[in-house]
Amino acid sequence: MRPLPNLMSLLASFEWSFIWDNRDEFLHGLWKTLQVSLIAIAGAFAVGVVLGAGRAHRIPVLSQLAAIYVEVIRNTPILVQVYFVYFGLSEPPFNIRLTAFTAGWLTLVVWGGAFNTENFRAGFEAVPYRYREAGLALGFGRLKTFLNVTLPIGGRIALPSSINTYVSVLKNSALIGPAISLPELTYQAYSLESVSFRATEIYFTLAVIYLVVVWVLSGLIRALEAWLALPEAKRVRTRQQRLWQAV
Amino acid sequence: MLLPALTPDWSGPVFRYVLEHGLPFTLKIAGTSVVGSAVIGIVLGTLLTIRFLPLRGLIRLYIEVWRGLPLIVTLFLIVYALPQTTFHLTFRPWVGAAIGLTLWGSAQVAEATRGAVESIPREQHEAASALGFGWVGRHVHVVLPQALRRLLPPLVSLLVNVIQNTTLAALVSVTEVLFAAKQQVERLAAPPPAGLLQQHGFAIYAAVLVFFFVVSFPLTRLAAYFERRLI
Repeated sequence: MRPLPNLMSLLASFEWSFIWDNRDEFLHGLWKTLQVSLIAIAGAFAVGVVLGAGRAHRIPVLSQLAAIYVEVIRNTPILVQVYFVYFGLSEPPFNIRLTAFTAGWLTLVVWGGAFNTENFRAGFEAVPYRYREAGLALGFGRLKTFLNVTLPIGGRIALPSSINTYVSVLKNSALIGPAISLPELTYQAYSLESVSFRATEIYFTLAVIYLVVVWVLSGLIRALEAWLALPEAKRVRTRQQRLWQAV
Repeated sequence: MLLPALTPDWSGPVFRYVLEHGLPFTLKIAGTSVVGSAVIGIVLGTLLTIRFLPLRGLIRLYIEVWRGLPLIVTLFLIVYALPQTTFHLTFRPWVGAAIGLTLWGSAQVAEATRGAVESIPREQHEAASALGFGWVGRHVHVVLPQALRRLLPPLVSLLVNVIQNTTLAALVSVTEVLFAAKQQVERLAAPPPAGLLQQHGFAIYAAVLVFFFVVSFPLTRLAAYFERRLI
């Protein structure tokens, strides 16, 4: 009977030079992934703040439309959404032909925006009403009260959950590539595999790249979160810690 | 009155094909991976609460890897890369997709279970120990029944996510609902006798969106209801 090979001998059997020779494909793909993700994250942030404010402040019509938009996007698969945007809209009755790049970031903005609307709604609703009253009492208009009081505080409350959404946006760019032939990281790996048949090396490398990107991003984000956390939250946490130590 | 407008002549065969060829695979993948994710996730999540460092490290690694990887990369690894390794593991595509979804789903459930088990007050553990239960009895009879109540909303959300993510199997050539729909769009666009030289992508993909919405929306409402009622 053939002895079962272990993981180390499996890795040793890879031809790593093949990956090194094709590093440009991976780097171009990674660059495209980052481009799409950054555009999509910026868009999702904007959509989330505007619609989240509309939901939290119960602005008539906008609030109801935003609620429908959120439910529709959250309850349908993103892959069907991207097919609809790229293959569906290009046909009658709309005949809107988008490039793969535009369709890709547009879908991600729509998808991330829906999740972000919920994140920011929760954040803005968590801002105590007396803070807004204080802003109004200082003579700020409603918009200025929002920009100076609700957004800085509620935005920071919403930060952890909205950041999770941004990481998901980056991860979802991976399925948009193979779906509509957008040459981002996963599609590059996929097309390299279809000409070279070296699936193991290619997909193993792909997985490692994604894990490094996602883990580094999560680490940076946690640091940013700690830095931007409301001073109040920090104080509460230390008080609790002190309490536990006392017990 | 409305029905004839909603069901043009070309739609009958499309509908039947997606229902007969696509839906069974979607259901098979969703069913297998929901059950697999729940069982593996609950076991791993409970084990994660044990303070034994090597075990904790291993389960942590499992969770971080399968949650960190985009699901499509996991599917490519299982369906395309595993058969070429020295293990020569080859699955039928839908089984590969179900395994990928299970790895991802069980990581999500494990994380949720850890939170739920740790949220059970220590007194419950102590009381069970005082009654003479060992670790297994304590968890099976006392802690997990309480933790499962808190786990119900995330489990329903998982069900919704798994159902939606079965569409990713289309990218590894499993004939599930989305893939079947895409085949029909391409067939209709082809010249006769196979097709009609007509473009119905808009209507068909919109119908797939509606299908998933109709399945998912009641489940998300249910998850929200559980969240209000049980906690």
